[in-house]
Amino acid sequence: MTRTKKLALLWAVVVCLLLGHNAYLWLVQRIVPNTDIMALLPVQERDPVLQQSFSHMVDAAQQRVIVLVGAADWEDAKRAADAYNAVLAPRKDLFEATRIDEKTQGDWLSLFQRHSLTLLTAQQEAQLRAQPPQFWLETALGKLYSPFGGPKLGSWQQDPFGLFAGWVQERAQETPVRPRDGHLFVADARLQYVLLPLTLKVPALSMTAQETVLPLLKQAGDASRKAAPQAELIQAGVILHAAEASGQASGEVSTIGIGSLLGIILLMWFAFHSFKPISLIMLSIGIGFLGALSVCWLVFGQIHLMTLVFGASLIGVAQDYGIYFLSNRLSADEKLDSPALLKRLLPGLGLTLLAAVIGYMGLALTPFPGLRQMAVFSALGLVFAWLTVVFWFPALVGARALKAGALVRVYGDALRRWPVLRVNRATLAAAVIFVLAAGYGISRLGANDDIRLLQNPPKHLIDDQIKLSKLTDAPTPVQYFLVRGASAEEVLQREEALKAKLDKLIVGGGITGYQAVSNWVPSARTQAARRALIEQKLLGDDGPLPGLAKQTGEDAQWIAATRAGLLAAGTPLTPEDFLKSPASEPSRHLWLGDTGGVHASIVALRGLGRAAVPEVMRAADGLQGVQWVDKVAEISSVLGRYRENMSWVVLGAYALVFAMLFPRYRGRTWRVLAPTALASVATLAILGFASQNLQLFHVLALLLLLGVGVDYGIFMQERPDNRGNAAWMAVGMSASSTFLSFGLLGLSKTPALQAFGLTMLLGIALAWLIVPCFGTIKESKHD
Amino acid sequence: MNKVKSVLLAAALATFNPAQAAAPVAKIQAMLAKPPIMCGRFDQTKQLAGMKKPLASNGRFCVVAGKGVLWRTLQPFPSTLRLTRDEIVNYQGDRVAMRLDAKTEPTVRMINNVLFSLLSGDLGQLETLFEVDGTVDATSWNVALKARQAALEKAIGTIKLDGGAYVKNIVMSEAGGDKTSIVFSAIQTGESAMTKEEAALF
Repeated sequence: MTRTKKLALLWAVVVCLLLGHNAYLWLVQRIVPNTDIMALLPVQERDPVLQQSFSHMVDAAQQRVIVLVGAADWEDAKRAADAYNAVLAPRKDLFEATRIDEKTQGDWLSLFQRHSLTLLTAQQEAQLRAQPPQFWLETALGKLYSPFGGPKLGSWQQDPFGLFAGWVQERAQETPVRPRDGHLFVADARLQYVLLPLTLKVPALSMTAQETVLPLLKQAGDASRKAAPQAELIQAGVILHAAEASGQASGEVSTIGIGSLLGIILLMWFAFHSFKPISLIMLSIGIGFLGALSVCWLVFGQIHLMTLVFGASLIGVAQDYGIYFLSNRLSADEKLDSPALLKRLLPGLGLTLLAAVIGYMGLALTPFPGLRQMAVFSALGLVFAWLTVVFWFPALVGARALKAGALVRVYGDALRRWPVLRVNRATLAAAVIFVLAAGYGISRLGANDDIRLLQNPPKHLIDDQIKLSKLTDAPTPVQYFLVRGASAEEVLQREEALKAKLDKLIVGGGITGYQAVSNWVPSARTQAARRALIEQKLLGDDGPLPGLAKQTGEDAQWIAATRAGLLAAGTPLTPEDFLKSPASEPSRHLWLGDTGGVHASIVALRGLGRAAVPEVMRAADGLQGVQWVDKVAEISSVLGRYRENMSWVVLGAYALVFAMLFPRYRGRTWRVLAPTALASVATLAILGFASQNLQLFHVLALLLLLGVGVDYGIFMQERPDNRGNAAWMAVGMSASSTFLSFGLLGLSKTPALQAFGLTMLLGIALAWLIVPCFGTIKESKHD
Repeated sequence: MNKVKSVLLAAALATFNPAQAAAPVAKIQAMLAKPPIMCGRFDQTKQLAGMKKPLASNGRFCVVAGKGVLWRTLQPFPSTLRLTRDEIVNYQGDRVAMRLDAKTEPTVRMINNVLFSLLSGDLGQLETLFEVDGTVDATSWNVALKARQAALEKAIGTIKLDGGAYVKNIVMSEAGGDKTSIVFSAIQTGESAMTKEEAALF
């Protein structure tokens, strides 16, 4: 048994293991790719509390689907909503409809009723400080005599001054949504809506769940339109975005994958006129893919859908090794057997793999878990494909296995007519023109680090989301204040200090309101102060109570009883009691509680416009333990920072690759790298001429371009057969299929991937065209 | 109306079936005059839990179709309540003691609707929220309203109405023991029914 055979068998064992593991993953474990966009975002390792606050906000929202069914006529809206609900109601396995039943309503009211003496609105507090007893006497009598004297809870004697009712009303105004006729109701100037809050019992980010839930929602929507044709539907929820993203990504995976495969098959057919090389290349790509998947799963425990989208474009790179081997086999002497040929090719092959892996590993330097996974996946895929070529191709491809097709001759002839750069005037002129044009183009490049590059949901989803936030005045989950303190009491006190500043902003119109736990449970300090204020102003003998008794013909006993009744509701309300009661359900996500000795909470903002952000974030200035959190700005700034950092990494990678190539190519090393470097500069210039804005993803693509483009330089400098044709053919076939796969990535609807694909597309094409110009030996005509 | 307003805090999200219009309702509807403008005197007696004496007050009220309701307590001291499409305002003398805006308090429209229906005897409207049970003879009728939703009933108790061409008496009994009786008299209709001052308030 030859060494070649032994190695081939050994590799066969490894491949069998891979196949087994993949079969287990897909058929037994039934794995599904992760589609959570959030998983692609950088993790804030520096600040666990901040990270936790964000997941608190997001998790609360993730399993929610909010549906608004609107019509000009309330009865129509109700009918449509009932029809919608009727479709979902039987599916108790998927949805738990959020019900507000009267029992919990009563429960939550009674909790606050027991502490009503310590709960006041800011306005009431100001009135208590400023107004004389006569004012309160009139207020109480007005409530007493009027049949409809404003909101009233319980008997008049329990709340003669309407303070508690006013506080509850202020709480109710934290949302414009109101119960009405057994439905939740919200309206704008045009329509009246029934609001249906749904909570999913299945994970919103699982594709299986999406495949069950979405058709059902559609069916429900159809039913509601049938019940009331004029009804308008607004639906919002993470699951809708996730489903859209998975659908889009799945479509892109197959487009890119199938497109590149077809392209490669066609090319190979024209080059070799036989299916054997095609199937060999497919084999190496397939094993590369399966290997990457297996190892990635073992390393990360999951695989992201975007990794697969990106991985699909890997096809265009993974085939280089096979093509290089086959092209050389085609033009090599038949007396040279395949193992010997491999030996000759191995240094070049090894360097190309190293360069590509260096390029991909640059992606892993970013803090984006998604990019890291893509980088690891791609590098692994290349390694497995490369090993397949090295271990199997010599055994599978005999010396006479290949014949050249017509395309090879035509294309090979083109090389002879290619301009080669020499030290002369023409070269100098070309260099000057290039420098000027590139300099001008690059100077026109802007920069754009908007988070929306990561995700591009369809317009109708965004529109619905905006309508919904407007209608329900819901706070944004990505911009809020994070408040920390040594104890729950300190956190509540700091919230109150912050809210005092925010109140001024409400007056100024920067925000419409805020949600905070201290709205419901004021700090113990504030509660004590308010209780003292009420006792002093309302319950004393010089207060309004004696006047009330006189007016209604009551006696001192009645005064004492009323006073005692009010004082009985004077024990402070604690955050623990509040969080245990059903009343806290809508605010629980704002309370992080004790995290590693630090107590923390969130103050969420309603009606925050983009223009008001700079003013609003300043509210945290000078307040201890209060921090403005803006996930959007944070991610954008991370994108920007990494765009700059990665530019240096690209330069560093060039240096690294240069150092790696130098021992082999010595004085010719610059000729290996120059085509790629020039292609990168030209690509940037073209993007500049097209008034594109530079993003992180353009820079990352340049890094990868180095990994791939260097292959062409190496192929051209290697020429083991001392003739240009094989190398030129390998470059042509590699480049055209890479061009194809990344070109398809350029069609992606995700702006980040699109920028990536477009940069690769331009860069590969240019590198391919430039490579021959840096050839060292002019071809003789008699080759 | 204070009790109805508590609806905003106590809603039973029970699915409910629109009731079959009971026979007396149609007859009562036919009997009611339903003028576009109607004003008159009211005498109100409140018996509150924890208070020995009933509290008497009186004043004038106006119901204007499409506009709203004006409720002017004159004795024992002046206080005016104006309910329109967009707000509920309570004046004590000239001071605004309370204002509820429909923009921030969406239930304002519903409260006004119920109140308007009560004063004008529009049982058809009331049937969506209440079970209406009543008797009718040639010139008079009386009905008892029972809230369809337990939570609403808890908040406002039961309401009894009686009258002929106009509503004469309203009695509201709350679960907490508070009871309010209102008697309407001297009802005038048409443009001349309103005083200048009342018209200016709208």
